Amino acid sequence: MTDLPPETPVEPARRSLLQRLSIVWVIPAAALAIALGVAWNSYAERGPLLELTFQTASGIRAGETELRFRDVTVGLVESVAFTEGLDRVLVGVRLDRDVAEYVDDDAQFWAVRPEVTPQGVRGLETVLSGTFIEGIWDDTAEGFVARHAAATEPPLNREGRAGLRLRLRAAGTATFTENAPIVYRGIEVGRIGRAEVSADGATVEAEAIVFAPHDRLISSSTRFWDTSGFRFTLGPGGARLDFDSIASLVSGGITFRTEVSGGTQVVPEALFTVYPDEGAARASVFGAEAGEALTLTAIFDENVAGLAVDAPVDLGGIRVGRVAALSGIVDSARFGDDRVRLAVTLAIRPGQLGLGEAAAAGAALDYLAGRVAEGLRARLVTASILTGGLKVELVEIADAPAATLDRSAAPNPLIPTAPARIADVAATAEGLYNRINALPIEQVMDSAIAALDNIARLTGSDDIRAVPGEVRALLGEARGIVGAEETQGLPARLSATVGELETLVGRLNESDAAGRLSAAIDAAAAAAGTVESSVEGVPELVARLTAIAANAETVPLDELANRLSALMDAADRLIDTDAARALPADLSAALAELRAVLAELREGGVVENANATLASARAAADDISAAAQDLPGVLARAQAVLDEAAATIRGYDAARGVGRDLGPAIREVERAAKAVSDLARTLERNPNSILFGR
Amino acid sequence: MEVAGALRTAREMGLVACTRCTRVWPAGTGRCARCGQRLHSREPKALQRVWAFWAVGLMAYVPANLWPMLETRTLVSTQHSTIVGGAVELARHGNWGIALVILTASVAIPVGKFLAIASLALGVRHGSALPQARRQQLYEVVEYIGRWSMIDVFVVAILASLVQLGAVAQVSPGPASLFFALSVIFTMLSAQGFDSRLIWDAEPAPLAPPLPGGRPA
Repeated sequence: MTDLPPETPVEPARRSLLQRLSIVWVIPAAALAIALGVAWNSYAERGPLLELTFQTASGIRAGETELRFRDVTVGLVESVAFTEGLDRVLVGVRLDRDVAEYVDDDAQFWAVRPEVTPQGVRGLETVLSGTFIEGIWDDTAEGFVARHAAATEPPLNREGRAGLRLRLRAAGTATFTENAPIVYRGIEVGRIGRAEVSADGATVEAEAIVFAPHDRLISSSTRFWDTSGFRFTLGPGGARLDFDSIASLVSGGITFRTEVSGGTQVVPEALFTVYPDEGAARASVFGAEAGEALTLTAIFDENVAGLAVDAPVDLGGIRVGRVAALSGIVDSARFGDDRVRLAVTLAIRPGQLGLGEAAAAGAALDYLAGRVAEGLRARLVTASILTGGLKVELVEIADAPAATLDRSAAPNPLIPTAPARIADVAATAEGLYNRINALPIEQVMDSAIAALDNIARLTGSDDIRAVPGEVRALLGEARGIVGAEETQGLPARLSATVGELETLVGRLNESDAAGRLSAAIDAAAAAAGTVESSVEGVPELVARLTAIAANAETVPLDELANRLSALMDAADRLIDTDAARALPADLSAALAELRAVLAELREGGVVENANATLASARAAADDISAAAQDLPGVLARAQAVLDEAAATIRGYDAARGVGRDLGPAIREVERAAKAVSDLARTLERNPNSILFGR
Repeated sequence: MEVAGALRTAREMGLVACTRCTRVWPAGTGRCARCGQRLHSREPKALQRVWAFWAVGLMAYVPANLWPMLETRTLVSTQHSTIVGGAVELARHGNWGIALVILTASVAIPVGKFLAIASLALGVRHGSALPQARRQQLYEVVEYIGRWSMIDVFVVAILASLVQLGAVAQVSPGPASLFFALSVIFTMLSAQGFDSRLIWDAEPAPLAPPLPGGRPA
């Protein structure tokens, strides 16, 4: 290696390169080879680059953050950059080759950060180790897909457990809390995912999963309800405070129960409704919940207050659905102005349309589309005049402008509307009120009051009240008259008088009083003849009384009052007749006088008194005659009275009202009549017996 | 080796010594007749060896700087620090002294050694602007410093063995430490392979009276 000129014999001038190279070059060569080999190996062995897009790269650092699958590191973040337009963070992850083939389309990624939720603390390990990216994918290799959008939240089934995925829809006041547990008899068997408002904004829907093996508890007749919060009920069974668990008290949760057997197995992603409470859930099993509701949107030009969620939707007077949601809508491009319109989401139950229990929403839509073509429109009508509440009515309007059911409208098919009938109803109500106002209610009332007053006066009057009593008193008097001892004793006294007269006449015969006596007898005969003729009407009277008794059952009530009144008048008049009152007294007085005369004659035996006595007897006979002459009038009057009474009592229901009083009265009349009849018959058979006592 | 007076080298005197048994033979003898060792006045491929080890040392030095030297795991974080990164980190926290020491020991000295060895080897072949005495001094410095170059590796080893507090704190050597050690080893080998006599060989004899029989081979 020296360049000094050699003095010694020269060595071979040039050696080959191999000879000139030192063996020590093997070492760097080997080092280079190893380095290259390692580099190539690592390059060849490294997996593909996975590109994940995140909303934010919080906690993700290149070269540090790991990608884990089932908590095993399978990749490392190589780069953190932005996507085009800076709207997202693009994280490049160097993935292990072994798992790359499994990272297919259905792989999901999310960043794990510490999280404190009511269900507990999660991701605690990331407090120490820093954020990591977790991925989950299934066990089928379907080819590597480089670009994935990472989720902002962990997926529902982050452990990759087997289970049944469902979609839950909140009904009424039920609420969803993210990651809330699904509890079955106190055991957590599933989980609710992220809740989101449905496309039409009417309900809230959430994903849920029920893990195996509990997923076989879910059938088509399973009902879910909300157990979050607590429920305080005060009922007949006392006060109750219900809550399922402290966790669900704080964080919310739902539970379920299969209320009736016979449900069918559900398919994944089946939709279930979550009810506010167990009662509602149970009630829904038996309710007309069959089939999915058909949701329609109706846009009303009138933006009027009064329509509320759950207001009924009627078709032909039958409730076919309800108002699911209300919102205002302003769309100047569509309507031409900036007015706020009322967008109403209608939930129609196909089963209520009469299309059968299992009618699909599509069939119901077809049916409604056909009806719309015939003029069916939705309109707002007043549900209650008092509250001003509105409902939606599907009604056929004859002269409606042509319109169709817009099936393609988003988010729901759009049903055409008609102007509301709220104003009409108000006008109708006003007209109704006006008409009611215009009615002569006052006059009618006055008349009615007057009529009622009259009736009250009439019925309350002493006259009317006294009618039965008076009738009875009348008949009693009549009976008293007829049955009085004076009257009864009349024949006996007459007989005694006649007996005395007989002895007197016998003595007169002896004396010279025969002429006068015969004249007196003639007068008495005349009087007796009058009496005889006067009793001719008595049988007829009896017959009439019989008729009265027969007709007593059927007195028409309506004529009762005036007839009774007339009867009363007649009876009054009858009673007031002095002749009738005086008759017995007169007869008695006459006979008393007669007896006194005869006694005087007998005791005195004085002839000179005979003339006076005969004169008195004649006067007495005259009196009798006069009295007897009045008797037919009395009887005629009584007959008239009884005629009227008969007419009155005819058709009268003897068992009721005045009839009860009238029954005994009539019996008394009967008895009185019988007494009169007996008297009359006695007189008829032997008219002279009055005079002669035989 | 500055020697006063007329000093003649063995080479000038036409002699060559056996490096194994130290028997001196006339120059040009192929093998030592006593022990059979091949005789060279100068190791013929010495510079090749220098260059070869130099290359390996340089190759090892690249990953030693790119890869982390220390992995520090504490409760909340894992820190991987490269040599320069660690020094910069320290400097940023105001520890300029320590940063300077690290930079000196781990960057300046190894790089300087590479440069020094390369310049020495090149100077043998193509001549150098530096005087021979300076080059000799440079070589001595390189030789001297070489044994201290492992201080980084020692620090890492001591730290890694001391700070093993389980999950709370743990220091483990990074892959760079291995490559740094390799780099140091090969640099030392490279420096050892350099024959300092070559520095002087290139120079014409300084004022020495020419001897009959010409210059030594």
